[in-house]
Amino acid sequence: MEQAAPDLERPLQPAPLEPLGHPDAGPEAAVGEEAEGAPDEEDPGDRTMTENNFCLKKIEISVSEAEKRTGRNAMNMQETYTAYLVETRSVEHIDGPSVLTDSLWRRYSEFELLRNYLLVYYPHIVVPPLPEKRAEFVWHKLSADNMDPDFVERRRIGLENFLLRVASHPILCRDKIFYLFLTQEGNWKEIVNETGFQLKADSRLKALNATFRVKNPDKRFTELKHYSDELQSVISHLLRVRARVADRLYGVYKVHGNYGRVFSEWSAIEKEMGDGLQSAGHHMDVYASSIDDILEDEEHYADQLKEYLFYAEALRAVCRKHELMQYDLEMAAQDLASKKQQCEELATGTVRTFSLKGMTTKLFGQETPEQRESRIKVLEEQISEGEQQLKAKNLEGREFVKNAWADIERFKEQKNRDLKEALISYAVMQISMCKKGIQVWTNAKECFSKM
Amino acid sequence: MSGGLPKALPSTGPHSLRDMPHPLAGSSSEEAVGGDGTPSPDLPTARSFGDKDLILPNGGTPAGTSSPASSSSLLNRLQLDDDIDGETRDLFVTVDDPKKHVCTMETYITYRITTKSTRVEFDLPEYSVRRRYQDFDWLRSKLEESQPTHLIPPLPEKFVVKGVVDRFSEEFVETRRKALDKFLKRITDHPVLSFNEHFNVFLTAKDLNAYKKQGMALLTRVGESVKHVTGGYKLRSRPLEFAAIGEYLDTFALKLGTIDRIAQRIIKEEIEYLVELREYGPVYSTWSALEGELAEPLEGVSACMGNCSTALEELTDDMTEDFLPVLREYILYSDSMKSVLKKRDQVQAEYEAKLEAVALRKEDRPKVPADVEKCQDRMECFNADLKADMERWQNNKRQDFRQLLMGMADKNIQYYEKCLTAWESIIPLLQEKQEAK
Repeated sequence: MEQAAPDLERPLQPAPLEPLGHPDAGPEAAVGEEAEGAPDEEDPGDRTMTENNFCLKKIEISVSEAEKRTGRNAMNMQETYTAYLVETRSVEHIDGPSVLTDSLWRRYSEFELLRNYLLVYYPHIVVPPLPEKRAEFVWHKLSADNMDPDFVERRRIGLENFLLRVASHPILCRDKIFYLFLTQEGNWKEIVNETGFQLKADSRLKALNATFRVKNPDKRFTELKHYSDELQSVISHLLRVRARVADRLYGVYKVHGNYGRVFSEWSAIEKEMGDGLQSAGHHMDVYASSIDDILEDEEHYADQLKEYLFYAEALRAVCRKHELMQYDLEMAAQDLASKKQQCEELATGTVRTFSLKGMTTKLFGQETPEQRESRIKVLEEQISEGEQQLKAKNLEGREFVKNAWADIERFKEQKNRDLKEALISYAVMQISMCKKGIQVWTNAKECFSKM
Repeated sequence: MSGGLPKALPSTGPHSLRDMPHPLAGSSSEEAVGGDGTPSPDLPTARSFGDKDLILPNGGTPAGTSSPASSSSLLNRLQLDDDIDGETRDLFVTVDDPKKHVCTMETYITYRITTKSTRVEFDLPEYSVRRRYQDFDWLRSKLEESQPTHLIPPLPEKFVVKGVVDRFSEEFVETRRKALDKFLKRITDHPVLSFNEHFNVFLTAKDLNAYKKQGMALLTRVGESVKHVTGGYKLRSRPLEFAAIGEYLDTFALKLGTIDRIAQRIIKEEIEYLVELREYGPVYSTWSALEGELAEPLEGVSACMGNCSTALEELTDDMTEDFLPVLREYILYSDSMKSVLKKRDQVQAEYEAKLEAVALRKEDRPKVPADVEKCQDRMECFNADLKADMERWQNNKRQDFRQLLMGMADKNIQYYEKCLTAWESIIPLLQEKQEAK
């Protein structure tokens, strides 16, 4: 199920079509229509490497630096922002050296632009998320300031991660805009805007919680949407509590530092006990300062969770798009059905449905046979058009479902892999913390034994 | 010593007064005795100051450390004490088995006191009595009264804020029991206090209340004489060593206070950490319910955190029950020691004042009146007892703190080991099935 990268000159094309009798597709959506396979467009099943292919094997991407800049914004006011250096290296041979091929500076808003573009052009893909715009889930030692060097550093890593995710996605990696993002610094924004993707964006997607009554929802998507909501909720909760836990743990360790000073003062008045107390105090200082590194490592775990918090949002977006598609389909089918009925009534003379024409006819007199004929003709044209559109919509819908579901499966496996790794590394962090604790207290105990 | 001597024989003080020849007077034993009461018929009088021979009121042979003696031999015996481990100990006291008594007027706890001894002061080799806190309090007062030149160990705090602490909770009772046990053991280990009559009665009497009511003034001679020391004399100069002890105790108490506050703060932070942990773990469980392949790993993490929470709770309980009370005990100890130091100052002040008064009168002969001699004896006795006790106290303090701090380190090690085990055990769970997929 390969998809050719959208050509910038051509308007948005639907994905290559393949016949699919999806069991869950709403029966009304396929009202009377049997999906016929439109001829396959070229189906490059073997992933030919075009020059635009940025699948991970071929290149290395890194966001290596962050720099504070000042410039003028759209309203010609001075602003400070951070720019990130995006470097691309190509690897000619496996295990061979990598050669720097491209290097340019991007700011966060450009990353956002890229992502928004991808969301519009690949509605069936779970698009990788960006790191958070503003620092959230901070515990007291972390800064919520966007200019704070630690935040900037973690964001740098997050942006790099985003690019790597896109580059390793079998479909997204071929996108030309993505390619240009990595290779063409100037004018990139204009090119993206020229695609007109903002116009194509369905404004209804912005209304996240507006409900569209879909008569035959796809159960799988409904479940998936529900799952993504729950996942967002549980990870948010987890991150919030984790931040509080980090805060408390910090407090516990730091208070122990006070022992260092008081033991030292006490040792001054003691004879035999003095040395033991003094050296034990030193270990208490070591203990107290060890928490800083420990918690810094843990932030990495929090970032991994955050990525999936935002991924859940992306997942939800796909479900939402499907919902809207389904809704549009049902509306179109409904409209077609009502037109057909009107046509039938006109032809047979029976009035079953209310129509304005019918009313006026009653009020102002019947129309001439010629008038009726012309009306029937118009309706028949409309019906024919509607049937075509419905067919297209059906196929589009089925294709969407197929492709989306394929990506969702890919995403699920990625998620399970990544989160397991994250949990393992978290456990490893905890183990390391415990071992350090044992070490310090064993040292202290030995000092006490020499008192 | 059997039979002949009255049971009310005091165990210290007067012997040393009588035995020590007065430094100002000649070596006549009569003068040394000074005429304040007839010596016990069985008591031999010793001549030499600093005699290494143990003076025994009961006339028996020295049985290791069982007998009181002159202050010099007291010091010697202290040295002997250090060399002796449990083998030649002849008195063992334990506090255990707390029981709640519900009466119409009140509810209270009693503890069983078990005594095993080969000392002749005890009629039976073994005793078992029940005592309540009040009784301990009474004992301590009596010891302070009758042995004012010695350092009396502290009791756990008497009053507890009602509503904050449950007087009948297992933890509180156990903490108190340990402190009471320590109290009695410290007295048992003391070469002078362990022979105190009140202590003996406390350990053995079936009806302690009846004895209390008798109100017998079983003061030692020194106790008696120190009791009458009037305050109001200005101390000229404190001997260096006692000044040093005073300063030491001041700083010591200060540092302990700081440590107490730090320890309390740590426990508080740990409890708050525990509260958050107890919310944190279950969220992984909630998440687990949403997932398929991740369900087991997430549930495993949740269970692991539950184990860590339990371990943390055990740590905070231990610190509250075992660490803090001992710190507080030592703060009380040093407070009571400072009072004894003050009393010593008063005794010295009185002596100096009287001596000066005599010097001023300048009678025909610088014959030292008896009461001035008494003052001097009193002072020197006090100094000697206090010095000996301080040395003993310093040694014990060192042991106690060594044990206390090692215990604290141990508890923390155990906590981390429990957590380590928990986390290490879920690594295989987290890693499994990845290959199987």
